[in-house]
Amino acid sequence: MLKTIIAGVRARTARLLLSSIAIMLGVAFVSGTLVLGDGITEGMKDEFAKTSRGVDVSMSLAGEGPESETGFSQATLDKVRDTPGVQGADLRSYVSAALLTASGKAKPASAGPLASTPELREYDLKDGRFPTSATETAVDVRALATAKLSMGQQITLLDMEDGKHSFTIVGTFAQGANSMSLGGSEHLVLLPEALPQLSDKVRGYELVAKAAPGVTQEQLVANLKKSTGEQGYKFQTGEQLTVETLKQISERSGEFTQLLLAFALIALVVAAMVIYNTFTILVAQRTRELALMRCVGASRGQVFGSVLAEAVVMGFFASVIGLFGGIGVSALMQTVIGSFSGDNTVVRLPVTPTTVLAAFGVGVLITVISAALPARKATKVAPVAALRAQLDSSEEVARTGTLRIVFAVLLGLAGAGVVYLGMGMEEEAALIITGSGTMLLLAMVVTLGPVLVGPVNRVLGVVPKALFGVPAKLASGNAGRNPKRTAATTAALMIGVTIVSLVTVVATSAKETASAEVDQRFPADYTVTSSIYSRPLQQDLLDKIAAVPEVGKVAPMAGFSPESDENSQYSAYLEATTPEAFGDLVRPKVVSGSITGLKDGEVAISSNFAKRSGLAVGGTLPQGLGATKKDLKVVAVVDGIDSSGLVTMATLTAFDPETPGFRSIMVKLKDGVTTEAGRAAVEKVTDASPIAVIDSAAETKAQLNTQVDQVLGFIWALIGLAVIIALFGIANTLTLSVLERTRESALLRALGLTKGQLRLMLVVESVLMAVMGAAIGLVLGVGFGWILVKALSSDSFPITFDVPFGQIGVMLLAAVVAAMIAAAMPARRAGRTSVVAGMAEA
Amino acid sequence: MSAVVSETGRVGTQAAVAASSLVKVYGKGDTAVRALGGVSVAFQAGKFTAIMGPSGSGKSTLMHCLAGLDNVDGGSVHIGGTEITGLNDKDLTKLRRDRIGFVFQAFNLLPTLSAEANILLGLELAGRKPDKQWFDTIVDVLGLRDRLKHKPSELSGGQQQRVACARALVARPDVVFADEPTGNLDSRSGAEVLDFLRMSVRKLGQTVIMVTHDPVAASYADRVVLLADGHLAGEIQNPTADSVLSALKHLGA
Repeated sequence: MLKTIIAGVRARTARLLLSSIAIMLGVAFVSGTLVLGDGITEGMKDEFAKTSRGVDVSMSLAGEGPESETGFSQATLDKVRDTPGVQGADLRSYVSAALLTASGKAKPASAGPLASTPELREYDLKDGRFPTSATETAVDVRALATAKLSMGQQITLLDMEDGKHSFTIVGTFAQGANSMSLGGSEHLVLLPEALPQLSDKVRGYELVAKAAPGVTQEQLVANLKKSTGEQGYKFQTGEQLTVETLKQISERSGEFTQLLLAFALIALVVAAMVIYNTFTILVAQRTRELALMRCVGASRGQVFGSVLAEAVVMGFFASVIGLFGGIGVSALMQTVIGSFSGDNTVVRLPVTPTTVLAAFGVGVLITVISAALPARKATKVAPVAALRAQLDSSEEVARTGTLRIVFAVLLGLAGAGVVYLGMGMEEEAALIITGSGTMLLLAMVVTLGPVLVGPVNRVLGVVPKALFGVPAKLASGNAGRNPKRTAATTAALMIGVTIVSLVTVVATSAKETASAEVDQRFPADYTVTSSIYSRPLQQDLLDKIAAVPEVGKVAPMAGFSPESDENSQYSAYLEATTPEAFGDLVRPKVVSGSITGLKDGEVAISSNFAKRSGLAVGGTLPQGLGATKKDLKVVAVVDGIDSSGLVTMATLTAFDPETPGFRSIMVKLKDGVTTEAGRAAVEKVTDASPIAVIDSAAETKAQLNTQVDQVLGFIWALIGLAVIIALFGIANTLTLSVLERTRESALLRALGLTKGQLRLMLVVESVLMAVMGAAIGLVLGVGFGWILVKALSSDSFPITFDVPFGQIGVMLLAAVVAAMIAAAMPARRAGRTSVVAGMAEA
Repeated sequence: MSAVVSETGRVGTQAAVAASSLVKVYGKGDTAVRALGGVSVAFQAGKFTAIMGPSGSGKSTLMHCLAGLDNVDGGSVHIGGTEITGLNDKDLTKLRRDRIGFVFQAFNLLPTLSAEANILLGLELAGRKPDKQWFDTIVDVLGLRDRLKHKPSELSGGQQQRVACARALVARPDVVFADEPTGNLDSRSGAEVLDFLRMSVRKLGQTVIMVTHDPVAASYADRVVLLADGHLAGEIQNPTADSVLSALKHLGA
């Protein structure tokens, strides 16, 4: 029997190669996704771990204590440093400052003290050295690009009073992820003594210490508790700190891992389908050979066993190659992601037992199952009947069973039910539940595949028939002749395209909605904001901008939270502007009431806040405490504002006479002034102020879009792999079909089909299958996208359904081109076979 | 010869197909097999000729070469005045499409097409309109009228071969090549197909060349050409099953 198996493997190298590649790609996709997920999680852990590395004891402020208001003092630090067993100790703190860029504009920056103990630094030197004098600084290597800095450059930091302080960049560092580095500001380190000149309120939030050799972390904690007292401090050993940090990360990276797992699952399904399909065809083609073996005396078990043994061997070897391929794919993806974010990412390739198990599970188990099912069917038939059977007999092209329909109906009902359930929920729950519902519906369509192939093929076949005549007609017939096979082949592509278009539709809708919201909420031509969050714009800037001849209207926007009882349903964050601005430069979507001519003492509340507070138009909103207590009259409920409500400036000053300034100033140009000329004129004013920057709606939109596009790019890359595997599945099926139809092709050639027409026929067949998968996938994806958008959309956060026709067109075109490439090999092969040789083939 | 045979010459006694010194070699060097060792033979237009011979005599190879399905290693083949040896694949394909009809032993029909579409396939490939009257005549003679909409898998073996005959004839080719057309049929269905082929020659003026190893099938022909070991081994005019059988016995000895 072994000899027969080996001989069989030799004789069918081409077919085995095809199925091996199918397995390899499937395994590569699944293991690649898992390795990528593990790699990213590991990377995050390493990044966060920098915070706790080298730390033997961490002290933080907790509860009431002598320093709970001021932060750790120098005195405490000195006390800690003098404690026995301490090798070194440092204070962790930061100061917000404004970094003056070359253009004279300020960027938010935060400066931290350089730890005197090298082991306690949360950052690694990349280039140059750390500062050694109070006029030197080292900056985060990322800031070189984002703030356009260079080594040796003189930089200026502004303190709270706009005082200028100069530093020379002597080095760069790379830092891990921590609460500080994840913010949007530029980071630099100074010597601890250089910090107070920037701010008189340097608040040390953490005190870290390194133990002397031979002192355990627990001993050090005990010593420190003795020397500093326990009141108001929380002591943690380095180990406890690490554990806590890692716990935070798992929570944070959990969502990401889940996302990747979802992709791995899709990968698994797609890979399984391609492998299963390939084997079904392979074994079906061997039915006669298997029957012959039985005729010459092999038992049913022997025949069955030989098919299984072959599958195990092939599955194993292909899995090994696929696993390595997957690791390569993961490395590639990490490089790609790294180039997105601009970081110099370290490529991490952790291979966990789960990954290996999954790889071999897919490669061996699915291969064996894929081989066993058709082999069982093949060996069940009486040998002589199998010998006689024609390959394309209608028996193989079995009619769709009632069971299939019943199963599909059940899936459909379940899917519709879950979607309905999800529609009633909100936000994340809605996303997950409705998403699962749509996946059930997708499963229904996959189940129904063989039923759908016929009609869809007839509709799609019309175009090529009109264009290419007979060869296309034959191709359409071929694509529809074995609905099960065509369905299984196209299903993989369909799943990939469904997910891609679903994600794209939802993302585009969100993006477009956000853009529209930006347009709606910022009817102003420009918005002048402060580049430093903690430093609002002042009245004199408003006056200067208003005085610019090109400017038609200005309106300031300020935000404040009146004092209120804790946990009061009425505690609110209010925004204020001038009365004339309402309905003009401030134009939220009005749900009820009217905001035009909003008077002092009146408020327009957001619909979210209306829900929370239970207020409606005509109601009264009590704000403030004690002397400043005031009742505001609710005159409107609006949507699309960040705050709880809108009031006039006068209302604001009534609560707080000393308003610190404005968050932003909206600028509307005079009619006939071009935006360029207007901007130039306004810039003349803002240039004088280091903190005032001009935002236009277009810039805000561009910022939003880049973020969404990055996420989309990542998802496209992942699903792109699934689509490639699916297209390979098409090539596979086509190649096997060509082998199977050698005689038929020869007959056609004898009857007068030219080689070119024969190739055209196969290309059209391939394109038909691809477009079938892509078209159904697109319809489903867009439909599911619509469902998800509906589910996610709520009164307070309405999302408008938007279909990215451009991208969908690109996808369809890509499917057609890829299908043509997929058909190239089989078409070449079919064209080469001579007519006589083809006719002679059994 | 090419000067005499015109396009419409199929009714006359001129040669529809002629081969001269045809050589076909399979393989190379020591393993080379001379399947045809210089065969010169002419097939009259408007006649039913059978090519016979024992297994391995080269009869199928001869037919493949005559029909332009296989290239030759020496000699020449003319069909209706055109020398086909030396034509490139595209011209050969066109020639087959326009001037030759085929009936094979099995697997004659495309499973995806109905009987009617199968009959008209060659014409469609050539981009020609079928002659409605001629189509009806053939369909009625073959008794396929009520089977036109059926797929091949819904037809019996005999019906499938009759569809193949209809396809071969509907384009009014210069010559119809039939390769063991009754090989897969029971004797009654086989007789029907042979009757039709003979009738198409006698009444419709077709030219038919049939390869067979069955003396009974050969007896339907006007003339039998005998082949042995790649060479002509005689011929029989107006054969009967008995005369063919004895001639074959002679060859086999």
